[in-house]
Amino acid sequence: MAMTPGLRACSLGLLIAGAAALAACKPRPSQTAARDEILIGATLPLTGAEARVGGFFKEGYELAFDEVTAAGGLEVAGKKRPVKLQLHDDTSNQATAVSLADKLINSDKVDFLLGTYSTSLVEAQTTVAEQNKVPYVNGGGAASEIYKRGYKYIFGALSPVELLGTTLMGWIAAEQQAGKLPRPAKIALLWENTAHGKDFRTGVSEFVTRSGGAFEIAVDESFEVNGKDFSALLGKVKSAGADLFLADAHLPDYITLHKQYLDAGLCHKVVSYGARGSEQQAIDTLGKDSVAYVVSGVWWSALLADKIPAAKKFTEAFKAKYGGRTPEWFQALGYEAAHALFTAIQQAGSTDREAVRAKLAALKIDSLLPGGTLEFPADKGGDAQNGFVLQQNLPDGTSPIILPKAVATADGIAPNPRCAP
Amino acid sequence: MTAPSPLIPRRLVAGFVAGFAILAVLPVGVELSPYAHNLLTSSFIMIAGVLAWNWMGGFVGQVSFGHASLFGVGAFVSARLMLSVHLPVPACWLAGAVCAGVFALAAHPMLRLRGPYFSIATIGFGEISRQVLTYWERFTGGASGLSLPIDAVLKYQLYWWALGFAVLVALASVAIRRSSLGLKLLAIKADADAAADVGISTTFYQDVIFMLSGTVVGLSGGLWASYFGFIEPSDMLGFDRSIAFVLMAVVGGIGTSLGPVLGAVVFVLVRTYLLASYPELYLGLYGLLLICIILFEPLGLTGLGLRVVAAVQRARRRRSREVV
Amino acid sequence: MTRFVDMLVAAVLLAGLYATMAYGLGLIYGVLRVVNLAHGGVIMVGAYLGWVLHERLGIDPYLAIPIVALASFGLGVAMYALLVQRLPRGAAGGPASLLLLFGVWLVLRNIAYLLFTGNDQAIRTAYSTQSRMILGTHVAVSRLVVLGIALAIAVTLQLVLRRTQLGRAIRAVAQNADSCTLVGIDVRRIYMLTFGIGTALAGVAGVLFATIFPFNPASGASELLKSFVVVVLGGLGSITGVAVAALIVALAEVFSIFVLPAYLTTTVGFLLLVVVLVLRPGGLFGQRVLS
Repeated sequence: MAMTPGLRACSLGLLIAGAAALAACKPRPSQTAARDEILIGATLPLTGAEARVGGFFKEGYELAFDEVTAAGGLEVAGKKRPVKLQLHDDTSNQATAVSLADKLINSDKVDFLLGTYSTSLVEAQTTVAEQNKVPYVNGGGAASEIYKRGYKYIFGALSPVELLGTTLMGWIAAEQQAGKLPRPAKIALLWENTAHGKDFRTGVSEFVTRSGGAFEIAVDESFEVNGKDFSALLGKVKSAGADLFLADAHLPDYITLHKQYLDAGLCHKVVSYGARGSEQQAIDTLGKDSVAYVVSGVWWSALLADKIPAAKKFTEAFKAKYGGRTPEWFQALGYEAAHALFTAIQQAGSTDREAVRAKLAALKIDSLLPGGTLEFPADKGGDAQNGFVLQQNLPDGTSPIILPKAVATADGIAPNPRCAP
Repeated sequence: MTAPSPLIPRRLVAGFVAGFAILAVLPVGVELSPYAHNLLTSSFIMIAGVLAWNWMGGFVGQVSFGHASLFGVGAFVSARLMLSVHLPVPACWLAGAVCAGVFALAAHPMLRLRGPYFSIATIGFGEISRQVLTYWERFTGGASGLSLPIDAVLKYQLYWWALGFAVLVALASVAIRRSSLGLKLLAIKADADAAADVGISTTFYQDVIFMLSGTVVGLSGGLWASYFGFIEPSDMLGFDRSIAFVLMAVVGGIGTSLGPVLGAVVFVLVRTYLLASYPELYLGLYGLLLICIILFEPLGLTGLGLRVVAAVQRARRRRSREVV
Repeated sequence: MTRFVDMLVAAVLLAGLYATMAYGLGLIYGVLRVVNLAHGGVIMVGAYLGWVLHERLGIDPYLAIPIVALASFGLGVAMYALLVQRLPRGAAGGPASLLLLFGVWLVLRNIAYLLFTGNDQAIRTAYSTQSRMILGTHVAVSRLVVLGIALAIAVTLQLVLRRTQLGRAIRAVAQNADSCTLVGIDVRRIYMLTFGIGTALAGVAGVLFATIFPFNPASGASELLKSFVVVVLGGLGSITGVAVAALIVALAEVFSIFVLPAYLTTTVGFLLLVVVLVLRPGGLFGQRVLS
């Protein structure tokens, strides 16, 4: 008798699977043909490790969609059509982001996709978009690896992190030449074990190789994303006697790592966490004194509003909608990605995916990003190359721009005044 | 316990064949939405994986909380071969499966542990594999993982590969259970020492089963990599995935030869539905489901189904008696 | 030399943290033979309790410890009475109790998410970024306190188990539950109290955790796994064993930096777990039930 339960269960299982399949293939009303509304899908990390930043991107997307709705819709081929954002929560998890992208395309039948946040999730999700030939515009994926795969439907508004490493080292080299930093300077280079971190490492280490002995990498270690205890790593940094502390971390890791950095009594002549440093959350958690003089390279800053008209317009609109809060680069990039997609749809004059893809590839528009124009160059795999603005936190809680000089609002300070001899 | 009857009721064989046939021609006969097509494909892959888990966890009674490491090794080896060596895809899957099977042999020293000790050791085994593979970013891409080449045709065909694979593993499950090997495993499950006393080499048979289980789980990992197009270590080798294998088996009916099939189907469908519709309640509902199953029906859905069948038969018998 | 002292101090502090996390898991396993997979969830709940008391009521996290202990004791008793008790005895080995408690963990995680969202939180006090110089090394005040509390818990537990009526009863039940029933000990009650105390310890570990690390509803997984390592090494169910094992794990992890990249130092703990289980299933110090 031992077999009966199993086999019964099996036939039951097949029955259920069959029923599920039949239920799933019930004829659906064909939506795409008659639909007036333009449906744009996206996932964001609204829960999980990146929940806070996910919320910021959502604000950016919502501002962009609200503006279109307020204007009565998106004017496509002479007709105003409403746009709707279909947003799911990918829980900061790559596998979920992939499943949900599949659902957005094949079940929700969205016309286009906007990106999620954090490089790893974007890298995972873009595969689904490319498979299904759906244009995917993102403001949250920054590793050059995403754009080196020869994908045709992926467009990124974030400059690659490798360039951030180079830009940061450029500033450091200038300070060194001015005699403010030792030569040769020993670098402790820490990077998160992702494409993002590897990109940063490439940028810094290639600069070091080209510097002709002005720099030397004393520590070169990766660390676990969303790690808890960095004491082993920091112990190594401490004993290496480095001059410069250059790390690449996401926001939660930046906060954890920097707290333990301070606990360990460390101080370096230049301290940077790559793209992190000036976030309000870090100031709230660690105190503005603790994060003072940290140098960060970001894709956008509200301080650009004085120099770039589109940045001014965005900052004002954002403040009006969100009770006077100053936007950070997250909201700006979310807004900009949506804006670029809208423009391409208008230029294409239809919601045909191929037509919109072609327009995105040829896009050149005024932008709130540094440089003032946005395009997705094909030779860079569709990744914008607007560059970075370097900021430095000050003890009063502000973070002025120190580079590029054209938009700088203050001079950079090196060596770090916190390290009293 | 009576010896398994050599005859399987014809109705069930017919049901099995019919179910297989329906599923095999379904995408040809009806126009499946790509979404349903994908869901079914992933269900088949999970069915194969959980059935193989059940060989160890159910038949031998050694509950492994580390099968994700085998799943992950199979996936990463085959993905790496596809990316770097460009072998034909099925060859990559097989190579991954073999590697996972060999990797499972590394667990050999753990096999003399029993009960919670074995389970805890497998947790350690799984965590070590996950951390080492995540660190080894040249092989696995680190925390960012690997993207596989895009192949729409393969993804469509994967439905039949996965279905065939799942059916083969299901047949193997029944075969193992009915063979003398199955009886030996039952003896080990009931009392390892007593089994050894009557001349059953517990470590040898456990090694064999663990290796077979590892190979099949590794193969399902390879298929999963092709299906998903993207793999990363913390998802493929994480504790959550190990738990998922246990969960599917328990929901379906741990230790029954084919009950886990149900568990896998329910797991994939419920997970997909909950994640899309109630992401904020997904975990809690899952937890409640788990608690209810453990408390009220240790044999899972299979046990529930059996109860219903028994109740129906009892009612029928009573009625026939009344008629007489 | 300074580096050696630095690392030694770091290891001792880390050991304090590991020990506080592991006591609860060890006690429950030692007496009930149940692997409390909800342990990580309770640590997370303790962290949130401490955080709420600090944010909303302004209670210092260290002063909040008794409140959190009491609340998580209640949670533990409820978990035992409503769920664990219904499992057949001796089910510890089977997946049943593991999965039941894993289900509880998922529910706790979800409740925390609904109440507090998924954002990272941290308990920030005036002294949370302060540090002191000890043996020429900077030591964070919060980590020192954790070490102190870890030692205090070990001593208190030891005293309770040895000197009190309840403690003797717990040890007796741990050794042989059946004969306890014969001599008139209410085994069910002892089980319930032990589960409560074990959960209370996990809750306290949560508050301490929250003063050092940021946390969110998904926190607890790595703490649970680390607790496993320590408890297994210490011989499942021995309090002094847990404390010593915590030190061994911490030393191994900290000093492995000499031979391993920093990324893999935490792997050493799991390696120890597997090796010790295989070679000495009774733990490093032999199987001693609540000695």
